[in-house]
Amino acid sequence: MASCGNPIADDSALMLSRPRFDKGKHCVKCKLNLGNIVIRHAVYCRDCFTPLVIVKFRRALEPHVNANAGTSKRPKLKASGSLVLGFSGGLGSAVLLDLVYKSYFAGRPPTDENGDPRGGINHPRNVSVWTSCAVCYVEVSSAIPEAHERTEEMRSALASYPNLKFIPLRLEDAFDESWWCRMTGNPDMSQLTLELGKDGLPTEGLNLAHSSNTLSPKDALRAFLTALPTPTAVSRAIQVLIRLLMFFTAQFHGASHLVLGSSLTTLAVSLVSCVAQGGGHAIREEFQEEWPPGLSPGVERGGSVRVVRPLRDVTMKECAAFAWWNGIRVPGRPRLTRVITGIPGLTKDFVVRLEKDYPSTVSTIARTCAKLEPKGTSVGECWFCYSHLQGGLADWKARISIRSHPNLKVVERLASSSPADSSVHPDQTSRLPPLDTHLCYSCITMFTSRSSRKSSFAPPLIHHQDMPLPRWVKPQDAEEAIPVSKNGELWVRSRQSEKECRESIADFLLPDN
Amino acid sequence: MSTITVKVEFGGGLELLFGNKRVHSISLPSFVPADNTIAPSSPPNSETPLLAESDDPPLPANGPIPDPMKGLGEMKAKPLDVQYLMHYLRSRLLTERPELFMDGDTVRPGVLVLINDTDWELEGEGTYEISDGDEIVFISTLHGG
Repeated sequence: MASCGNPIADDSALMLSRPRFDKGKHCVKCKLNLGNIVIRHAVYCRDCFTPLVIVKFRRALEPHVNANAGTSKRPKLKASGSLVLGFSGGLGSAVLLDLVYKSYFAGRPPTDENGDPRGGINHPRNVSVWTSCAVCYVEVSSAIPEAHERTEEMRSALASYPNLKFIPLRLEDAFDESWWCRMTGNPDMSQLTLELGKDGLPTEGLNLAHSSNTLSPKDALRAFLTALPTPTAVSRAIQVLIRLLMFFTAQFHGASHLVLGSSLTTLAVSLVSCVAQGGGHAIREEFQEEWPPGLSPGVERGGSVRVVRPLRDVTMKECAAFAWWNGIRVPGRPRLTRVITGIPGLTKDFVVRLEKDYPSTVSTIARTCAKLEPKGTSVGECWFCYSHLQGGLADWKARISIRSHPNLKVVERLASSSPADSSVHPDQTSRLPPLDTHLCYSCITMFTSRSSRKSSFAPPLIHHQDMPLPRWVKPQDAEEAIPVSKNGELWVRSRQSEKECRESIADFLLPDN
Repeated sequence: MSTITVKVEFGGGLELLFGNKRVHSISLPSFVPADNTIAPSSPPNSETPLLAESDDPPLPANGPIPDPMKGLGEMKAKPLDVQYLMHYLRSRLLTERPELFMDGDTVRPGVLVLINDTDWELEGEGTYEISDGDEIVFISTLHGG
């Protein structure tokens, strides 16, 4: 009985709950067997359910495999490089790993009497879609002192998938100069930091400085996370670090594709959460993106990596049933990488509850967001998260922000909030541009939004005068990007003097006398 | 009074809430209080009869299965169903964070329940009347993607 009315009313006043499936209990596909699972009001038997998930997986992945679509309606699948699979240990990535392996790497071609592939290794039947597959796992235990490392547990979970290479990464690699040098071949070992105010949080101007600290990567990671102002910021920062670590790694290994195990449910959570955190301009990248983006600096090795989410049409419930019925081992995702706090956590709670009562709505979220187009043009990439940078962001912020503070004492305190004994040389500071004009709106919000509650998980004992930034945060080309309209018209802005301004509108001014 | 033995299995990380034990075999009376009242748990050596027996936590060997309706006066009874089983699991076997398992009288959103390998939405959800030898699986889908 669903209590949709007065809870103290008579039993007969309660409305009977509607069944969660539209027709009978027989499978809507084979129409013979009794159903085993309800997917968005439709009933499927177990025999029809597994092929259904496989079809959804292939339908989402295979159109993106070939570099060019060509003219053939059924082109032969052949990727231009290898495959990297992002593995978190969670349900989605465990299901994705099993599907990828069984679909593309487990099959053995028929062999002749000598054990060689029949028809030769160059026969189209014997050519693999990808040259190889690597599984990339990012260990996040360093972010919290009491967390235990799970890299070996993840390695053992892959034991049942032979011929897959395991690439263990660590979250602190983002601050590791040797890792950055290996990924990019760039000998530039400099690291940038953000100046922090007296409250231990980034100042409003987001002033960059050259680092003079010699923190270990792990300490740098903790100092970075400690200085973030809100749980939402910490959650987003960790997601960005994991995302970019995998992107750089995939490119370094010559991968043409990076596949992630985002299910339809987690995709809906990401989309709503992305918009709620101010990332609407880059919402299309939540579906699919190419790496590196156009203006990515320093990365010279390898070609582009296509990021695909093949489970984007498969709900979390389908993943769970598929994993259970196919005996897929799900090691479990570290608590830190699950979205459980801040806006992402609240969004996840909302979407999961929504999916239970209105299972089709989650698909509606994804389909609606897929139709969205960002307004305006992009003027480059965000220096921190490498997503598209919205043009005119600074002007818009200037229009909506209140810059003056009514309390002069507060203004004086804010002005003197930079650490006086900073180890940064004045000439170095003057050469670095402020970071706030080169960040997307989500990242600005991430660094500057304040909360009355401090992040709960970050260890409070680590406090530094500056906030280490990941190695990929570098000043890019000093020249401002020039916006170009659709008709090729260049938009160049320059400040007019008062005299020039007066002259340009002279015909419309009334005489002074 | 007859008893019903049911096999309960946890997956997807939900077993961590139940002492990290995946499979439980539980014996419960065939008729239970309609308001899902679970009598308070007793220490193993107590002479107070227990409401039901299971292999976890340990119970007196070969002890009689008490009548859960005994002493409850005119309270309504109902056949053993999944809703009662969930209350029983929460009261007797859950070791931590009950909010991750139940939400009101049902399971928390994000937990998939299979009754004899069939989605419980096809079986009437919590109102499904448990038969002897049934297998009920609780799978958490909230361990991420």
